[in-house]
Amino acid sequence: MAVKLFALSTCPYCRMTRKYLEDNDVEFDLLEVDLLEGQERTDAIAEVKELSGGTSFPVAVIDDEVIVGFNKKKIREMLSL
Amino acid sequence: MSGSSTRPVRRRFPEGTTAEDLKEYMAPFVATLGYKFNTESEFVDEVLTSELEILEKTGDVFCPCRIRTGDPKEDAKIVCPCIPFYLEQFAAMRKCWCGLFIRTDVDDGAELLGVIEEPEPGSAVDVPVCRVEDLPDGQVRHVKIGKQDIALARVGDEYFALSNLCRHAFGPLSDGILDGYYVMCPWHGWRYDLRDGTTDHPDADVRTYEVTVSDGFVLVRAGL
Repeated sequence: MAVKLFALSTCPYCRMTRKYLEDNDVEFDLLEVDLLEGQERTDAIAEVKELSGGTSFPVAVIDDEVIVGFNKKKIREMLSL
Repeated sequence: MSGSSTRPVRRRFPEGTTAEDLKEYMAPFVATLGYKFNTESEFVDEVLTSELEILEKTGDVFCPCRIRTGDPKEDAKIVCPCIPFYLEQFAAMRKCWCGLFIRTDVDDGAELLGVIEEPEPGSAVDVPVCRVEDLPDGQVRHVKIGKQDIALARVGDEYFALSNLCRHAFGPLSDGILDGYYVMCPWHGWRYDLRDGTTDHPDADVRTYEVTVSDGFVLVRAGL
């Protein structure tokens, strides 16, 4: 299962989500959007808006499912943890 | 004026601002909106530490859980405390997006940490709009929930909320004069019944909202 996490380096819920995935040995791609610059940043923001309809973090993408915020229950369901 | 985004944010807080300074500045302001700092003090310190880092980089205390897009109008809406811009959403979540602030009637903020599901669109939510003591008997004031401008009136211990725009020439009913259960538009004296939004002319009634009082706050029911 492909897991991608859009996060901010400053955001406590992003840290919680990241830790939860790591603690459960889930492999995931991490993109810390606030640390990007220039076009990369613009593109990442556009992608987050497209996926989630907003600019709030974290945004986890598990296959085609988009989870906004640290939603342990949904993540657990999606990954059968 | 175009191209305003080229001007950087003018720093609002002096060098050496601390988390304690931010608490002192924000607490009275969010109290008027029905919020307080989260009871989880370590979490509060973590968020405020992030905000101070962001302040150093950007000149203001932007939300650590949202991204600045570079559009000044959008970015202004994520300056902490951002509660006024997300009244319905946060009222339903009982906290602000990052959880720095929780509703005043939440005893244990820990219960809300990590539960960050947004409410269903279309569901109704009672939004705190002002403290009871901020609206004396016989007065009417303006409140804004999302894009809705609302006149909030008090008659004795009864509260009424109706669309703020007079249907005659769009005068602000929140600047009007109360006469019993009626508010008179300040511009040309059109009269609306606070209880049902009806006016003396047919087909010019205004929308009313359900109002409740809880924990010292006046709440207006809004849709998400």
